[in-house]
Amino acid sequence: MNDKTLRFLKKRFQDYYQDAHIHLPPEYTSREWGFILFDDMPKTVMRRHMAFGSSGELQDYFSWTVPAHAYYSVAYYEYPNASNMKDKNWLQSDLIFDLDADHLPHVPDSYPEMLENVKQEALKLYDFLSDDFGFGEDDINIVFSGGRGYHFHISHPSVRSLGSAERREIVDYISGRGLDISQIIGKSYVSGDSGRRDASMFVFPSENDGGWGAKINRYIISYISNIVNSNKPIKKLTDFSGVGKTTAEKLVNIFNDEKQLSLLKKGKIDMVSNTSKNLFEHLGKQAVDNLIANVDEPVTADVKRLIRVPGSLHGGSGLRVTTLSASELEDFKPLENAVVFKDNPITVNVTQPSIIEMKGNKYHVDEGVQDLPEYAAIYLMCRGGAEYGSN
Amino acid sequence: MDSKSLALYPFVTEAFSYVETLGFSLERLLNSRALDSARFRGKERVLQSIEDGEIQKPGLSGSGEEKTFLELLSYPFSRILVSCINDSYLIRRYALAEAESASKLLKTENKDFLVEIANDFNVSITPFDSHFAMHFTDYIKLANTMKDLKWKLVNRRLKRGYVHITHEEVARLLQEAIRDRIQNALPLDVSSEVCNTCNSHIDEIKEVLQNRKSDINIDDMGEVDTESFPPCISNAISGVSTGANLGHSMRFALTSFLLNVGMTVDEIVDMFNVSPDFDEEKTRYQIEHIAGSSGAPYTPPSCQTMKTYGNCYGGDEFCQKIKHPLNYYRKKLYKKAKKEKEKSQQQDG
Ligand code: SF4
Repeated sequence: MNDKTLRFLKKRFQDYYQDAHIHLPPEYTSREWGFILFDDMPKTVMRRHMAFGSSGELQDYFSWTVPAHAYYSVAYYEYPNASNMKDKNWLQSDLIFDLDADHLPHVPDSYPEMLENVKQEALKLYDFLSDDFGFGEDDINIVFSGGRGYHFHISHPSVRSLGSAERREIVDYISGRGLDISQIIGKSYVSGDSGRRDASMFVFPSENDGGWGAKINRYIISYISNIVNSNKPIKKLTDFSGVGKTTAEKLVNIFNDEKQLSLLKKGKIDMVSNTSKNLFEHLGKQAVDNLIANVDEPVTADVKRLIRVPGSLHGGSGLRVTTLSASELEDFKPLENAVVFKDNPITVNVTQPSIIEMKGNKYHVDEGVQDLPEYAAIYLMCRGGAEYGSN
Repeated sequence: MDSKSLALYPFVTEAFSYVETLGFSLERLLNSRALDSARFRGKERVLQSIEDGEIQKPGLSGSGEEKTFLELLSYPFSRILVSCINDSYLIRRYALAEAESASKLLKTENKDFLVEIANDFNVSITPFDSHFAMHFTDYIKLANTMKDLKWKLVNRRLKRGYVHITHEEVARLLQEAIRDRIQNALPLDVSSEVCNTCNSHIDEIKEVLQNRKSDINIDDMGEVDTESFPPCISNAISGVSTGANLGHSMRFALTSFLLNVGMTVDEIVDMFNVSPDFDEEKTRYQIEHIAGSSGAPYTPPSCQTMKTYGNCYGGDEFCQKIKHPLNYYRKKLYKKAKKEKEKSQQQDG
């Protein structure tokens, strides 16, 4: 990034910060703030250990020093601006989840696809936080990071004093780590009365159990219901290894019978044949793989982490770090809704040919000097794929 | 809470204030002839904790006030004795024994009583017909030191923020809270005059403690030989020394491994002391927890578990032959010793 580009970006970010409203976290005066400034670039130095006493002071800092990247601590400190971590005296922390496209098992090439995948994870995480952990919509702050993912912030008083190990337990729950599935579904041996041999019985969870059991019950039932209600259910069921025609027909009957179905939902499984039980067990394992949300453990466990300021701009993309409500999440399109710049033409010299999909338009950008709408130009410059002007 | 309950659960907040209202001065607790048997019982508590790991609680239901008072007053005296001796093993073992005995008794109490005790530890539980509900934040604070997988939150019935737990499990979880409270308050600030007054009791305890310590000299593998560590452990150590943050499960595996091969708590604390915001007190606390109060530290996880948590680095030929990191170490030590012996024999010959 050359000087001219930096100056241009700084000016445009500054215009944004003149009007923008920075989203202040609870107890912002107890937080440590950190910034990477355009003035220091191309070197990346983080100016951290800062604290602000009023929102006006913060607003001024943003519009006068113009950070390319802005962060605050998830922690609340007694002395947030002490230059040594120990002297800050940690008091509490928000509970944070980080979903990042880079941490998903399959990373697609295109940026929009990547963002879509990570949004699916975000929706799953939301379900965990509301159904299992009982947080209300107002307790969960969902934030598009401006980069490749989402951050969830929870500032509810009940979680603030949790330590790292305890936060890891929450991550383990969400990612199914350490889950002992044999206690939930499958054959289990119970010791019989004296003299008799140990009896084996098939355990199956109820949807009323809560926890992973309930999730697995719901997954299996809706999975098979979908098949039963589709066309050619018998054919689809017999495609599973070990499932014959008789078993399949019996299953279809059970799933079409309200009464039996509601028993199944309650975890009663006696009417189901052994072959079907094996199928259920197989689906139970599949359920876990499908239901887990891939959150980045070290971020959640780190109670002193710095996290991007919602409402600020991400200097690596020019996109706004955007706060969303749960209902907005589903329809959120980062490459439209997080774009803050206009579409007046800007001349840039593109150094890395790329495909950009923003605001519903798709641009195939070749190397060389050309005009682009400002938002696309800024996006490319921030990513280091273009320089400002014609030389 | 009535005075009998206070005598059986003398660590609750109410018991402290109750003892205060009784107006016994420290002087009297230490010297009064009338309190001879309270002091004797106080010493007995400590001795039982060392020898049996459990403190026998008297049945107080039919007994008179006097017996109740003596039981109640024996507790502060025990704490004075433990504080005078000020031995970290004794403190851990004593706190655990007090907590275990209380927990055992709690299993027999009714629901309301459990709720009351839990409240004393700032844990709120709601009783239902056949179970309790506890908020998950309280639950993980109590259960996260528990080793068995069944206590992991992921294996619990969690619904809308609340964990489903049985009566027995509540008692077991409170044991953790009780132990923490007792252990963290010890040693008390006791003057040497106070300790001198208790000398005869202290000497008796010290002797029993010494015997216990030499009895349990666990699995002596000689000097620690870091070269024979398995890949998972060496890897974690080099991670730590470059300031990397280990995951919880690896931290546990590493610490318990090192304790089992004979490293001391101090040595391990030093090892973790590399990063600028190193918190010695917290680290020591965690390591001491893993060191355990029964004398033997927790066993490190098996290779299987290491693999489940992504902590295994098993690429080396030795790993193929073993199922447990400690066996890796034992085998390698043995092989090394054998080789050296052969070498020296060759030289001799
Ligand atoms: S196989 Fe066992 S000893 Fe070897 S690296 Fe893996 S966990 Fe460690």
